[in-house]
Amino acid sequence: MDAHTPPPPEAGPAAAPAAGITLVIDGVEITAAPEASILQAAAHGTAALTANIGCMGQGVCGSCRCMVRRQGERQVETRLACETRAEAGMEVSFIDYFIPEHRHVYDIAEVTESWGLLDQLNAIFPEAAHCRHCGGCDRACPKGIAVQQGVALCVAGDFDAAARGFDECVMCNLCTLACPEHIRPNNLGLFVRRATAALTLRPIDLVRRLREIEQGAMAVEIPPEAGAGAAPAVEHDA
Amino acid sequence: MDTLNQVLLYPAFQLGADLEGWLAAGGGQGLIAALAEPAAIIPTLREADLRGMGGAGFPTWRKWQAAAEAPGAGKFVVCNGNEDEPGTFKDRHLLRWTPHAVVEGGLIAALATGAAHLVLYINPHQAAAVAEMRRAVAQWQASPWLARMERALGHPLDIAVVETSGRYIGGEETAVISWLDGHFPFPRRKPPFPAQSGVGRAPTLINNTETLAHVPHILRHGAAWYRALGIGAAAGTKLYSLSGDVMRPGLYELPMGTSLQELIFVHGGGMLEGRDFKAVFTGGPSNTLLTKRDLDVALDFDSVRARRSRLGTGAMIVISEGTSIIRKVAEYIAFFAAGSCGQCPSCKAGTFQLARLLDRIDGGRGTAEDLQALESLCRILPGSGRCGLIDGAVTVVESSLHTFPDEYAATR
Repeated sequence: MDAHTPPPPEAGPAAAPAAGITLVIDGVEITAAPEASILQAAAHGTAALTANIGCMGQGVCGSCRCMVRRQGERQVETRLACETRAEAGMEVSFIDYFIPEHRHVYDIAEVTESWGLLDQLNAIFPEAAHCRHCGGCDRACPKGIAVQQGVALCVAGDFDAAARGFDECVMCNLCTLACPEHIRPNNLGLFVRRATAALTLRPIDLVRRLREIEQGAMAVEIPPEAGAGAAPAVEHDA
Repeated sequence: MDTLNQVLLYPAFQLGADLEGWLAAGGGQGLIAALAEPAAIIPTLREADLRGMGGAGFPTWRKWQAAAEAPGAGKFVVCNGNEDEPGTFKDRHLLRWTPHAVVEGGLIAALATGAAHLVLYINPHQAAAVAEMRRAVAQWQASPWLARMERALGHPLDIAVVETSGRYIGGEETAVISWLDGHFPFPRRKPPFPAQSGVGRAPTLINNTETLAHVPHILRHGAAWYRALGIGAAAGTKLYSLSGDVMRPGLYELPMGTSLQELIFVHGGGMLEGRDFKAVFTGGPSNTLLTKRDLDVALDFDSVRARRSRLGTGAMIVISEGTSIIRKVAEYIAFFAAGSCGQCPSCKAGTFQLARLLDRIDGGRGTAEDLQALESLCRILPGSGRCGLIDGAVTVVESSLHTFPDEYAATR
């Protein structure tokens, strides 16, 4: 949760090429390579990144959420820094992880049949029915997900469509931060994805691969280091 | 001469819903003058220099003129009584204790603009104000005044008391329109301005409760009388909601242009427990701070603006030495974060991040980078919302950075 630590003595814009573009990230002026993403610009131009950093550019972890104002524009957008190209004159502010007052606690093992799923969802996410249709979640989502519609589909009980709609969600939490009714759409989306998976026949290739793993077919032998005992086999997660 | 409570809070006018009492005390005279010469209403307000008391200080006559000139039938006049900002508690008093002054002001506005609807838009959290206003409106409707109004207008006049959503955002002009149209009180971008397209797309005039309450008195006694009530170039009187670390917090009506010093140390009885004055959040939490060297400022719209601050609603939240300015600002930002309607991610995310940074800095865990990020947000956020909520939040943060740099110095 901490902000960036102070810059190491040698770091700075010197690493970036002279013909770079200049932007401001959290109040620090940074020169970046023309093709750089905001995250790359921040990584090269500021202190060591200790917050808002996760998968480092793959767009799957949602950590690098930020607000972006382009030069001459009035609008401020919420984006993932790793998926947004740095532009000259851009002003960027990273956003902390938002911790809501209320957590939604459930055990997905209790989702065992579809007849009661809507009741379960309503019990776990009672706020979902309170959507005031402001559209803030849609505007906040850096992945372009139709979040508000996804929430509506959950409330309506159309779980397959809702789960598909949230498929690209990386849990950046921006919709939760944006929601004035404390709905936590990303967590709702994750729930329906889990519930849908729990109530669906698993794809056979996944089943086969898991079986291979169980039988040790995917084990990787690591040669023992000098002085150390035999290293345990490392298994991949499916 | 006693300058306290001369007009709006004049004791003989604090009657509640008692139309006969109001008329006996001289009420109705303003409406009679308005009915006698409707064309003179707007010029009189112009000459009186009546300003919007909801915070903007915009010349009232201009708003009225725009609504009067706008083409379209079924125009609306709305009395905005949503009052829901920390430190402001003036409109609830007027609605509860002088409802007839407010309604009469609304009737004069309807006459000046040719409106067919007068809506008293009141926060339901002020239950006594809603109930009193319902009684007051029923008395007007049962009186011969309504027929006289309708004859003068040439069409029926509908008067209604409408409970607001009770949300802070519901006081914003375009949110008022959205609510009266039957929707959630979402603000929208202007233009179109309410005078062009408001409730049901009809031209709509939205005035603060205090603004309307001044109107019958101005029409009754004349613009020159009203101007003379003010000090210096300022006109009329103003309600000041005085709160915070003062001996006698409360609602004071004083000549527009009364000094901050006089408000706090004469009427407010000075600082609580003899503490030292540190600062005042002028015009509420979405505004700017004034400090010790500004105690001489005349509390009128133009003089306060000359100090790079704003009079706002006339709320004065007084802070004594020993209170952390950053802590107070963080509390206000948390209020805005909760009140943000959700439409604009920059407002929700912006207020959240401002609050986070302020909390870190106030808690002693802030770094120089946090301060840089805070200052950066103050540049990024303004103008990014549909309404002014995010701008107000930035204003108070920026003002604290500018006025109390020493409090932030520990993190530099």
